[in-house]
Amino acid sequence: MTALANLTPHLLNGVSLGLMFALIALGFMLIVGVMEVINLAHGSLFALGAYFAIFIVGLNLGVGIEARYALAFFLAPLGVALVGMVLEVAMRRTYGRDPLYGLLLTFGAALVIEELIRLVWGSTEKQLPLPPDLSGAMLIGGFIYSKYRLYASGAAVVLILLLYLFLEKTPYGAMIKAGAHDSEMVRALGINLTRLRLFVFALGAALAGLAGIVLAPIWGVRPHVGVDAVVPAFLIIVLGGVGSFWGAVVAGVLVGIVVAVTGAYASEWSLLSMYLLLIALVTWRARGLFGKKTVLEN
Amino acid sequence: MKRRKLLQMLAAGSAFYGPWKVHHAWAQAPQKKPLVIGLTMDASGQFGASGTSERLGAMMAIREFNEKGGVLGRHIEALHIDTETTPATGSRVAERMITRNEVAFLIGGLSSGVANAIGQVAQKYGVVYLNSNSSSPTESGRDCKRVKFVWDGNGTNFAQAIVKNAIKVNGGNWALLTNDYIWGHNTSKATRELVVKNGGRVLDELMVPQGTRDFSSFLLKLQQMKPQVVAAAVGGDDFRAMRQQVLQTKLDRQFAWVNNQQDWEDVYGLGAEAAFGVFGTTWYYRFDLPGVKEFVEKYKKTFPGMQVKNPGNTFYNGYVATRELLRCVEEAGTTSNIAIIKKLEGRKMTARDRMQHHDAWIDPATHQVQQTIYMATYNDKPAETDDIFKILSNVAPADIVDPDAPKACKMASYQETPSYEQ
Repeated sequence: MTALANLTPHLLNGVSLGLMFALIALGFMLIVGVMEVINLAHGSLFALGAYFAIFIVGLNLGVGIEARYALAFFLAPLGVALVGMVLEVAMRRTYGRDPLYGLLLTFGAALVIEELIRLVWGSTEKQLPLPPDLSGAMLIGGFIYSKYRLYASGAAVVLILLLYLFLEKTPYGAMIKAGAHDSEMVRALGINLTRLRLFVFALGAALAGLAGIVLAPIWGVRPHVGVDAVVPAFLIIVLGGVGSFWGAVVAGVLVGIVVAVTGAYASEWSLLSMYLLLIALVTWRARGLFGKKTVLEN
Repeated sequence: MKRRKLLQMLAAGSAFYGPWKVHHAWAQAPQKKPLVIGLTMDASGQFGASGTSERLGAMMAIREFNEKGGVLGRHIEALHIDTETTPATGSRVAERMITRNEVAFLIGGLSSGVANAIGQVAQKYGVVYLNSNSSSPTESGRDCKRVKFVWDGNGTNFAQAIVKNAIKVNGGNWALLTNDYIWGHNTSKATRELVVKNGGRVLDELMVPQGTRDFSSFLLKLQQMKPQVVAAAVGGDDFRAMRQQVLQTKLDRQFAWVNNQQDWEDVYGLGAEAAFGVFGTTWYYRFDLPGVKEFVEKYKKTFPGMQVKNPGNTFYNGYVATRELLRCVEEAGTTSNIAIIKKLEGRKMTARDRMQHHDAWIDPATHQVQQTIYMATYNDKPAETDDIFKILSNVAPADIVDPDAPKACKMASYQETPSYEQ
């Protein structure tokens, strides 16, 4: 009983951490799913979201921190979406070619964005100021827990649901899913694939930026913070099954729980545990948790 | 004077002066080969920010010497390659600098893993290497080298300065948070030994893998353990993320935190509260000591518009290490490695010269600079924005000598060390 009581806070903490991991992976999943491009600049777009938010919150607009934070929450992802659109335009010449071209281009873009961040904001650590209501600690089950983490988990749930509704209940979502399934057929049906790709890339970039804003007060903000985001994002979409929305969410939560529990009971394994989980799961089920069967597997 | 005579004189003058003007090098003595110093500092990775500062420190010292005409009549050039907080990169960079760039000396090191890797390459070629800022006790103990000199206080020095007092003030039940690499391991080992020696006990040790960004499970575990003191040996970006999360949960007020050593760059610009707990440092920009004000002004003048407005301990170490090395070259009248090593071994440096409270020296048995260690905490009454440290006390180097280092340090002899001169 005591063991279970000790374990429970770590499991709950793992779920909260996992939701944030899922949020990081969603934009990545969208771009891989529709465009079959592994966007290595995802981490830099994540960092850019945090920096844009710091810039907006720091503006002297004559309104309180709450209003500036809310503004940043909406405007910063839009800014990142614009950067994503520029990146997509640059990528067009790589479509239909060896995937290595896209990989190299996004890798180069990641380096460029990171250096631009350094030039504009410098190399030193930054902090995203938070409204007082989101800061501080609270007591849950006898444990001190960060209020902000609960807010971040809540924000992740809301964003995941909104994206799900967008993909499932709107015609744009249907087009995106169709594009992921068979882009040539989508083009044959008269849908402007070029515009669809631009939109998807912008949406994926905006999601990366949003994740950056949500995670900034937890991880801190520095030019290379994106590197910390891109690796788990990649791992989660492989674990969940490439292109699977709920796969990414479930895999994110699973990774969160594994990292949190090992952090508490075998701390030296806490970072490695997610990779071990990937190896174990891919060995057992190569297409990931919710990945579709390929013709070869039938 | 006739017109023809004037033209003849002009022609003769031009014939003589022309080549001297166009090929002015002919008129000079042969230029001496520049003295190239390899700066092996991290510009990225866990210690990227601190590595940048120590590089600037070394460059300011080099600039000072160049303004005086260099050393031994040779202009000093700095060559920097990012060691990326990765031992393999450190090793590769050192090898390249020595074999291709023919550097005379190597300076730089934040991560003890990287410093150890560079030290091994330096010893192979006999190149004098100054580990300016990495502070694992092994650097001047098990991994000491004849060519390597360690300029920062190490984990044992800091632990000795803090632990006894912390047990007395806060209690004997300790938990250790240890960055899972050489510096973390050895610093926590030293802390553990001192805790036990002073009648305390270690409830548990949580290993923090390098690259950890989420500390929530560690913080929950600490709450379950209920220690009186948490001794953290976590550095660089990992520490920044941890600090952010500790402050968010206000856990800085739940336990007494002992943060071993706190680098200026890890807390800079984040407000006084960011420097929570008690921690050690080797220098502070607001010391009321001769030369400090001028040193800070020089930093600002040399590097105008820097985000870090005032120099910190890693900049200071980069500066004093480089300056001392160049002084040794001047005194020895050569860049020959054995001559320089002999100049550095046992070298005494006055408190005034080093802008510290006690005289320092380089222990010939370990090659570590024995220097003043300062206990500090966050400053609740800052005189200005950057005034985030409150210096609590200073400890003389003789009181915090690492007793295990000389026993563990087995250096190659002079004869076993390859000769090297550039």
